[in-house]
Amino acid sequence: MKKPLRNQEIVWRIEKRRQSEALDALEAGRDVDELGTVTLIQAGVMHQLNLVGGMVWERCDGHRTVEDIVDDLAGEFDVERGVLKNDVEIFINDLLQKGWLTDG
Amino acid sequence: MDERQEILSAPLTFNWTLSYRCNFTCDHCYSRDEVCNELSTADNYRIIDVLAEQQIPFINFGGGEPLLRDDLFDIAGYATQCGLNVSMNSNGWLLDSKVAQRLRDCGFKSVGISIDSPEPTVHDQFRNMPGSFTRATHALDSLADSGLKSTMSSVVSRINYRCFQDLLDLARDHHVTQIYLHNFKCSGRGFKNRENLDLTPEEWQTFYREALATKERISDLIISFDDPVIASLPGYQHQSMVKGSSCGKLSLHLRPNGDITPCGFIPVVVGNILKDDFETIWFESPVLKAMRSKVASGKCASCSVFEDCQGGCTARAFATTGDFNQPDPHCWK
Repeated sequence: MKKPLRNQEIVWRIEKRRQSEALDALEAGRDVDELGTVTLIQAGVMHQLNLVGGMVWERCDGHRTVEDIVDDLAGEFDVERGVLKNDVEIFINDLLQKGWLTDG
Repeated sequence: MDERQEILSAPLTFNWTLSYRCNFTCDHCYSRDEVCNELSTADNYRIIDVLAEQQIPFINFGGGEPLLRDDLFDIAGYATQCGLNVSMNSNGWLLDSKVAQRLRDCGFKSVGISIDSPEPTVHDQFRNMPGSFTRATHALDSLADSGLKSTMSSVVSRINYRCFQDLLDLARDHHVTQIYLHNFKCSGRGFKNRENLDLTPEEWQTFYREALATKERISDLIISFDDPVIASLPGYQHQSMVKGSSCGKLSLHLRPNGDITPCGFIPVVVGNILKDDFETIWFESPVLKAMRSKVASGKCASCSVFEDCQGGCTARAFATTGDFNQPDPHCWK
């Protein structure tokens, strides 16, 4: 896995208000796993990513390695780095398999 | 989760009527009798600026016939420059090979052509325009030749529901890869001609069962429905992010003067995109809030499917009863 890149055919948008609400909720210690903060439209079908997934997606620009992405997010979330790295790798591998990301 | 969290930051699609003018007088048209001032090119650019600022990814020009606006290409080109994905629906009359190339050059992602019957004479009669079937199929061929993605739109009604498989064949013959089978809306002329055109609830059920089975069976053509009333049928796979009508949740409609309505078939203005704050409209409009929080009424109150279908098509309920919360008249439950 080199530098993951978003599939250019996928139209996507950060749901700014939801993202802000999710960050506030996270700060307050609430679970935000089910709250979609990034919307993707792929082949006419809509999908949503939650806060962490959305932040990973935002960073899959073909310029950052997975290590770079993990470093970025480690500053945002209060979680042990090894756990975070494992989660990010699983998520990226899943999107690579779906064709939503390519290995840039 | 509160209501605000459940709605998106902005719609994903604006269905945009640039003009209600049309060279056809179709029997089912929702807008043929509408009268509305049209905005200048510059004002339409200002609208695009608002849409881009709100990060609305898709606009679809409808009407009225979009190609009657001479500045359609300029408006679409500007929208494309601003990052929007542009498409439109046309009757095809004015769409020859040169126009197809211009549409492609200014950035259109796809163009839909309306064809209501596989039988030329039936289509021409329904559209009150001799020769329109031939022009529409030529438009599809011109789009294919230009390399621009074409889709076909057919409003399901009494004139075609028994032969929709032939519509699929027609689409294949003209290199169409996606067909939209639009549900009949009883708005405008569609309301006046409802008795002649609309199906009974039982006929709708039969039609959708066959259409869903066909959709599942074939792979060479994408069949798209946009009717929440089918949520109760086996084989229906819920792919939308919202339940019930998407109007006011995923999409809004723009009238030629910049007024916003929940959809083209609900003539209730919730604000004006050039005069009012968009986010206030989107998040605070009492009309949009009511559409997003429908209350089961009538037979819906005791129906187990309401949670999925949300009463079906809000536009049809409103057109026939004046109440968003009443059951969709197409519902067979």
